[in-house]
Amino acid sequence: MAPDFREPHHLPKHRAGAPGPPPGLPRQRRGTTPQMRGRYPDHDVLARAGHWDAATRRLVLDRVENPPPIRFFDAREASTLAAFCDTVCAQEAEPRIPVLAYVDDKLHGGRLDGYQHAGMPDDREVWRRVARGLDDAAREHGLDSFAALPADVRREIVGAFADGDLSGGVWDHMPPDKAWGVVTRSVLAAFYSHPWAWNEIGFGGPAYPQGYARMGVGQREGWEGDEAFEVDPVGDVLERGAE
Amino acid sequence: MSLQTRLKGAVGPPDNDSRHLLDPHARGIPGRAAMRTFDDADEVDLLIVGCGAGGAVLAQRLARAGWRIVVLEKGPFFDPDSDWVSDEEGARSLYWTENRVIGGEDPVELGQNNSGVGVGGTMLHYAGYTPRFHPSDFETHTRDGVGADWPLSYWELKAHYERVEAELPVAGQDWPWGDPHSYPHSAHPVGGAAERAQDGARAVGIEMRVGPVGIPSGTFGNRPHCIYRGFCIQGCKVNAKASPLVTHVPDAIAHGVEIRADSMATRVEVDERGRCTGVTYVKGGRERFQRAAVVAVAGYSIETPRLLLNSTSRRFPKGLANGEDQVGRYVMVQGAPHVAARFPDLMRMYKGPPPQISSEQFYETDERRGFARGFSIQTVGPLPIGWAGHVLADGHWGEALREYMRDYNHWTTLGMLCELLPRAENRVTLAGELDLNGMPIARLDYTQCDNDRKNIAYAKSKLYEIWEAAGAQDTLEIDRYAHLVGGCRMGTSPEESVVDRDHRAWEVPNLLVADTSAMPTQGSANPALTTMALSSRLADRLVAKAAPSASATGAVAVRRAVAAA
Ligand SMILES: Cc1cc2nc3c(=O)[nH]c(=O)nc-3n(C[C@H](O)[C@H](O)[C@H](O)COP(=O)(O)OP(=O)(O)OC[C@H]3O[C@@H](n4cnc5c(N)ncnc54)[C@H](O)[C@@H]3O)c2cc1C
Ligand code: SF4
Repeated sequence: MAPDFREPHHLPKHRAGAPGPPPGLPRQRRGTTPQMRGRYPDHDVLARAGHWDAATRRLVLDRVENPPPIRFFDAREASTLAAFCDTVCAQEAEPRIPVLAYVDDKLHGGRLDGYQHAGMPDDREVWRRVARGLDDAAREHGLDSFAALPADVRREIVGAFADGDLSGGVWDHMPPDKAWGVVTRSVLAAFYSHPWAWNEIGFGGPAYPQGYARMGVGQREGWEGDEAFEVDPVGDVLERGAE
Repeated sequence: MSLQTRLKGAVGPPDNDSRHLLDPHARGIPGRAAMRTFDDADEVDLLIVGCGAGGAVLAQRLARAGWRIVVLEKGPFFDPDSDWVSDEEGARSLYWTENRVIGGEDPVELGQNNSGVGVGGTMLHYAGYTPRFHPSDFETHTRDGVGADWPLSYWELKAHYERVEAELPVAGQDWPWGDPHSYPHSAHPVGGAAERAQDGARAVGIEMRVGPVGIPSGTFGNRPHCIYRGFCIQGCKVNAKASPLVTHVPDAIAHGVEIRADSMATRVEVDERGRCTGVTYVKGGRERFQRAAVVAVAGYSIETPRLLLNSTSRRFPKGLANGEDQVGRYVMVQGAPHVAARFPDLMRMYKGPPPQISSEQFYETDERRGFARGFSIQTVGPLPIGWAGHVLADGHWGEALREYMRDYNHWTTLGMLCELLPRAENRVTLAGELDLNGMPIARLDYTQCDNDRKNIAYAKSKLYEIWEAAGAQDTLEIDRYAHLVGGCRMGTSPEESVVDRDHRAWEVPNLLVADTSAMPTQGSANPALTTMALSSRLADRLVAKAAPSASATGAVAVRRAVAAA
């Protein structure tokens, strides 16, 4: 086990195939992160909101406090796609960032991304077809909805989607790699525009009008939390028990 | 110590007061309330479509020479205090997000990565690098047998580079590449992430210099100092980063230009003799027509060709100035892959402007590399959503995505700008789909050539060399493009270009193209400074031919000036 995060052993390319977050990942102590884990247990961006300009504060706090209602997708699509978003973002437990709510809001408002590959449908139609494609895949596993599948089967299907390895049904008229590009673009934007995710990764957030003064290697502002490596007691016991 | 070094930061441009016209306590443009307005029926001397890098500089220069000017701008007249946020996702209002179709073998993803909208144009959300082109860029055909020669040389543009550098102003170390030069402002401090990159580059014999960026080092008139918060691409709420909104629009308004925001030009109209009469546009849902003696189109490399292609008439059935089927061709993008590297220490690459250091050591052709032309290397500082795109592009989602994201602060990122060559089949055409105004949307087809692929592959291998030398513990890679150039290029004959060396359409004597789309090649430099310098030169050429035209006969003099230029 690495003594801290200076070494790269925890990185996916260095621990091939190991599922789940790496050992040493602390529980969050201040503020919220998705699933309450994070590298910066005392870093709470939202505690800085009083230092932000009014326009930014309004937007970001509204994002956290008032996730938009689902209006674009129907109930079936919404449950399938929420499970899809959570699989892509590895959100298997609460607290979750309500990723699909932000995606739905964007599609409902017609705020698209400004381009469409020739031969591909409109992004809104891409999302609906992806929902159908995922449910078709679930039926091959004997269940009616992607959302009802166990996590490992969902991951297997999403893995095939990411690799462009889906065919038949909706995929015959929509190349999976292009569809993957369309949907992940919105998923990532929704997840990483959320302050809970900023807490998890140690991002300083808006920082206007204050700005940053300590930019050198290893430096941080007084209010920025530091990185921590921590032995999670439960995980530690389990791990040593298993040895 | 040279005089220039001693005076760094102390001398402002003599013929542009924008920096003093700004309000020290608010970011919105103060002159807006008292802005002059013109009637649609009033034949203005010059109507410019698009208030971006090219359009705003042209307006500012010619207004000072007494021309009566209206600028139509599709986007809003932003007030950075209330309209912009210090937030990645919240910056969408700055991007051109109306639909466009992309095709070809190597399609170029548009939207937030390529073009902006609003008074100030794409520079509202450009990164802020402001390098010059090299002298070789103007004659790649003669020197290297690829691309095209420009109908003008670097030396004709040099004085305008200097002028614009003083207006932005540009900060950076003395520049050893191309035509060696220095900058009016001294270099900014470098953040930890860029320092690491610089160390790695040095270790493999690559020199990187600080800058050049369009961010004053210090205050500049009423423009405050940069606060290093890293949101340049999301719009600078500080007014530190240069964009026409703060560098040219205030002075233009003070000299009588009307900037008509929220106005989308849909057609350039012509009379039976084939001369422009003005522009049809939509404002507030209503179609209107503004008369003008001369029309300059400056809507950037997709919208400029789109507008001309849509301006069909009996005389120009294939689109305005498109008799030779040249409009929309030779659109270029730069190959801009990033390679990110991981280190033990925290570097927090979100701090400081994304543009920090760059190298043009590989800019020129070196036959040993096996391809023509070259590339430059620059730092970039992706914010969390951008970083997530990098991680995903490297093939990670789920837990792996989350872990690479948690590792964000350990990473630093370098990017390249590879000069991809102009090709006739890389072009803008009109797609079948219509926008809300009933105007066909644009389609951009793009396919790389063999030289392009070799350039990108070689440049990437250099980045890996840098990171290896720096001791990187892990790397991530993303393939991408940057910038748009060309589409209505200037040249020496109507068979292979749309406009002449004075930006005038071969087929329409009072139609100008005054933006990045007029450029025949792109080098491996970011294009905004060159776009501005070209407009500055164009204005000089027009003024030299015309008497100031505040009188009723002004339009006649202007028309004559354009025809004679
Ligand atoms: C994310 C990003 C980063 C960049 N970084 C850099 C950088 O670091 N350095 C650099 O040099 N360049 C950079 N660029 C590119 C640079 O900003 C552009 O090359 C430059 O602004 C183009 O100038 P232009 O005058 O041709 O067009 P623009 O500045 O785009 O201006 C065109 C204007 O015309 C308007 N318009 C278009 N069509 C119409 C119409 N029909 N009616 C009315 N108005 C219309 C548009 O809304 C726009 O405001 C970057 C671009 C992006 C997107
Ligand atoms: S880093 Fe500086 S130039 Fe960039 S947005 Fe912030 S204040 Fe403006």
